[in-house]
Amino acid sequence: MKRGQHHLPLLQGGSLTFMNFVHAYRINILGLLMGVLFGFLMSRAGATTFDFHAKMFLFEDFQLMEVIGTAVIIAIIGVFIMKKLHVNAIATGTEVDFVKKPYQQGLIAGAFLFGVGWAMTAACPGTIPAMIAEGKIGAVFSLIGLLLGTLAYGILQSFIANNGSYSAALK
Amino acid sequence: MEVTVWSGWVAGLAIGLFVVLHFWLIGKPAGCSTGYGNVCGLLCKKVRYYHEGEYETKSNIKLWFLIGIPIGGLIAALTSDTPWHISFDMGMYEAILPQSDAAKAIWLIFGGMLLGFGARLAGACTTGHALVGGAMLNPPSLLAGAVFFMSAFLTTRLLFGT
Repeated sequence: MKRGQHHLPLLQGGSLTFMNFVHAYRINILGLLMGVLFGFLMSRAGATTFDFHAKMFLFEDFQLMEVIGTAVIIAIIGVFIMKKLHVNAIATGTEVDFVKKPYQQGLIAGAFLFGVGWAMTAACPGTIPAMIAEGKIGAVFSLIGLLLGTLAYGILQSFIANNGSYSAALK
Repeated sequence: MEVTVWSGWVAGLAIGLFVVLHFWLIGKPAGCSTGYGNVCGLLCKKVRYYHEGEYETKSNIKLWFLIGIPIGGLIAALTSDTPWHISFDMGMYEAILPQSDAAKAIWLIFGGMLLGFGARLAGACTTGHALVGGAMLNPPSLLAGAVFFMSAFLTTRLLFGT
């Protein structure tokens, strides 16, 4: 018998292969499912509708304010309870890691540029893919810009890390 | 154009529970913009920054989360009252955006560049800083979230001339 062969019926073998696959990639599969849920909720919340962004900042409609306000309050309570109970994560079995983004140099400048981009595109990185799937052509261009901007940061960081050496940064 | 939108309180409740569910399932904070770094790493083999440190493995949860978002958006659009269709209509923004399609596209690409560069410079986007960072009451995230809103508020006011 060759290595890797088995004599299980097709259905059983197939289901075992499938279970093995799901187990090996469970974090990525869960991530995909969470992404689907996130995209769906962003759309239902109105965050993929351009007008809600303008109306929020012009104080005409507080839909997105209500969304983010309620979401943050619910999440604060949830995180507080989870910290108290020392809940274990389902995918890893280890305690949930509430790792916080550190303060980094350029945070305020970056946040300012981000805000300008937000006002110009009426979108943010989390809603752009959902907007494209909804058939909004404008978001395709926003995505192109988003990738270019991210790339520019990576190139800049590569240059800084390699003391401005062109050949060492782009290898 | 118009997708079905829930009341703000209901959608906010659902997103708040989503943040908690993400922590419980994955054990790490949710985030969007870091995944674009993975995409850049996959597209550009030469840029070192997106092949080192946290971008060492590119097929990770951040990337797959990002791949899931359009699927969710598509489901939301298909289950809306109005049928799915393609449009380049920017709604209220039509009044302030350039008139020709090409100029509109360039405007959006430029805005997108600010989003991408700014998100990386600040460390996270609206999801990572304002929503999830705010949920953990992380001071740098609250600061970043406040600056996001202030700067977008000022720019929108200037654009609409009010």
